[in-house]
Amino acid sequence: MAEAVQRLRGTFLTLSFNSGLNAVGILVVGVALFATAQRVFEGGGTYFFQTLGYGLAQGAIFALVALGYTMVYGIIELINFAHGDVFTLGAFFSLAIMPLLGLSSSSSGPGIILPLLGLFVLTMLFCALVNITIERVAYRPLRHAPRLAPLITAIGMSALLEGVMTVWRGPYNLSYPDFLPENQISLGGGVTIAAKAVFVIVLAVILMVVLTLFINRSKLGKAMRATAQDRDAAQLMGININRTIAATFFIGAALAGAGGIIYGLYYNSVQAFDGFQYGLYAFTAAVFGGIGNIPGAAIGGFVIGIVFALSDGYFVTKWTIPLIFGILIFVLVFRPTGLLGMRVPEK
Amino acid sequence: MVRARGLVVLTVATLVAFACGGTTGGGGGSKGEIDIASDLPTSGADASSGLPTQYGAAFAVEQAGSVKGFTLKFVPFDDAVNGKHDPTKGAQNVQQIISNSKVLGMVGAFNSGVSAAEIPLTNQAPLAQISPSNTNECLTIALDYCQKYAGYTVTSLRPTGKNNYFRIASNDTFQGPAMADFAYDTLGLKTVAVWDDQEPFGLGVANNFAKEFQKKGGTVVARQGFDTSSKPDFHSWLNRAKAAGAQGIYAGATSASYGCIPRAQSQGILPADSYYLGPDGIGDGQCIKDSGAMANDKMYASQGVADANANPTAKATIDKYKAEHPNPQDTGAYTFAGYDCAAILIDAIGRAIDANGGNMPTRQQVIDQMAKTSNFQGLTGTYTLNAAGDPTTPALQIQQYKSSAWTTVKNIAVSTS
Repeated sequence: MAEAVQRLRGTFLTLSFNSGLNAVGILVVGVALFATAQRVFEGGGTYFFQTLGYGLAQGAIFALVALGYTMVYGIIELINFAHGDVFTLGAFFSLAIMPLLGLSSSSSGPGIILPLLGLFVLTMLFCALVNITIERVAYRPLRHAPRLAPLITAIGMSALLEGVMTVWRGPYNLSYPDFLPENQISLGGGVTIAAKAVFVIVLAVILMVVLTLFINRSKLGKAMRATAQDRDAAQLMGININRTIAATFFIGAALAGAGGIIYGLYYNSVQAFDGFQYGLYAFTAAVFGGIGNIPGAAIGGFVIGIVFALSDGYFVTKWTIPLIFGILIFVLVFRPTGLLGMRVPEK
Repeated sequence: MVRARGLVVLTVATLVAFACGGTTGGGGGSKGEIDIASDLPTSGADASSGLPTQYGAAFAVEQAGSVKGFTLKFVPFDDAVNGKHDPTKGAQNVQQIISNSKVLGMVGAFNSGVSAAEIPLTNQAPLAQISPSNTNECLTIALDYCQKYAGYTVTSLRPTGKNNYFRIASNDTFQGPAMADFAYDTLGLKTVAVWDDQEPFGLGVANNFAKEFQKKGGTVVARQGFDTSSKPDFHSWLNRAKAAGAQGIYAGATSASYGCIPRAQSQGILPADSYYLGPDGIGDGQCIKDSGAMANDKMYASQGVADANANPTAKATIDKYKAEHPNPQDTGAYTFAGYDCAAILIDAIGRAIDANGGNMPTRQQVIDQMAKTSNFQGLTGTYTLNAAGDPTTPALQIQQYKSSAWTTVKNIAVSTS
């Protein structure tokens, strides 16, 4: 009897603690939304949609990079810290091969579409090959080593790539040609959005849809999902584990390579160290959405991009980065598995 | 880190080798060797302003050759890490400089934040330090906001309580307002958006610009700071500046803190003929590269020293320098300020030698003579240094980016009481 009361009281205490925490959480979210809504209302619709456009564009690039983090984590539970630098390498490589494709900073018009397509294909291929080499050299031999070992080789690979890029082009900001249109597109009712932002968002969404279809419909995608669920069982079923893991690195890096070009085209400048910090945000996005969860990474990327833009556009910019990480802590306290959770069948 | 240590060892080895050569080889009548060190950012993005300054200081030492029978040698150090000036690296360099007993004075640092890390060390050594380009007012003037905004005060930087630090550039209390006056009076701007890089220098100039611009009757909008430890995305903020009616942007930043990245990102948001203004930190070649398609003649930067070309007596020396450094990139806004700093040091060392009966002076004796610098005829101006270490008649200039070069459009003399 006494024991039952004790247990009941314990449950009650936990409950009231949780509901207290929940109440605080709801209050914080409510106040934040109210403050934002008030500023948005004062600023007007046109301004809001422009800000949202810039946020979605930045978020789209975060999302593309976040997908690589989350896919690799999903399949071998490794945080591939070199991923952000593979992304920068995409921007550097595409910049270097532009003259070969007849592209220069003064190129414009519809004639650039075909070379630009070639640029994407070659860069994605190059980044993919670099990434599977990294996997073969630095991660595969450590697959059965303690978890910390491949994490350190990943950080080492990141430093190595940054070093190679710094030696190659110097630590300066490099100018990236500006091929994208600069005009604003009217959405009707006086609402406009930058054409540049639309390009970035549309391209990123297309790549993400293709990826999702590939994972869900193709045989290799099925093998990847199986490997993610249970590596040993998948192997017993005749799936070539090494090839499947290599394919994951290949696809993740191809997306990062595309992200690198999009980053260059959107920001018109790239530096050897850009990717590390960008990778950190993308990784945050992946954890935010639920690490290992592909739609989660995409949503996480967009959410972080939007928070960036709203904070820069309406609030105090120097608080933007603490705010992003504050939100991350906040979300993880309430949902330790991220927004969409990390344990979904397709990972 | 390992590589840095390797470099240090190498530098020490070189110094030892030189020192040995000097004593065993015999100086040919030389009474000994006196070194003048420099600490400037000479690699990476900062090199476009640091290297020309180092060349200027080196040229002054080379021109002098010797002082009162002592052979002069120039010992340069680089405080850039990954292409960006670094206070920790600067402090390490200064420890190297101090440990070399032949060094009687140093030129540097280039950036206020780096000097703030170095002054406590040179103060305790003690070693005379003179900067061609430091502009943060809190380095020499005790103001009530220094602890809060700069994170240091005149007294916290000088543990001994005595001054050993000098500079010839005008401080931020002049540079920000000078651009504000120019923007309001000459360019006719009424609304300007202001951002800063959250560093002591950038924040200082941006605040001083904003204060003066508002005092003139102008409006400051979208006044924000950005964390520039990594490259920020400025699109949303630029759109915010546009929505607030900004006719131009004032960047309280340097090229190393992404000072002109917003210029490139403003394409499609602000018109190409909108103005982009900033302090000396953006008046360099890297800024122009970073501005991309938006690099044009609507860009203006202030410089904390006067234009040496405006001084007719400087022409012969400038021509000689340019004959030795024909590449236009080797002449920057602070090249001749670097020259003047080294020349002021050499002049003070000369007087210290005289005061010491023709013998090698102590470092303290050099500092004492530095403080007595009066009416020194330099290339960029005539300098008298006051007790705080500041020039009594600072000067500055406004430059415009015009036909692919930063060109002086206005020289401004500042009167101080």
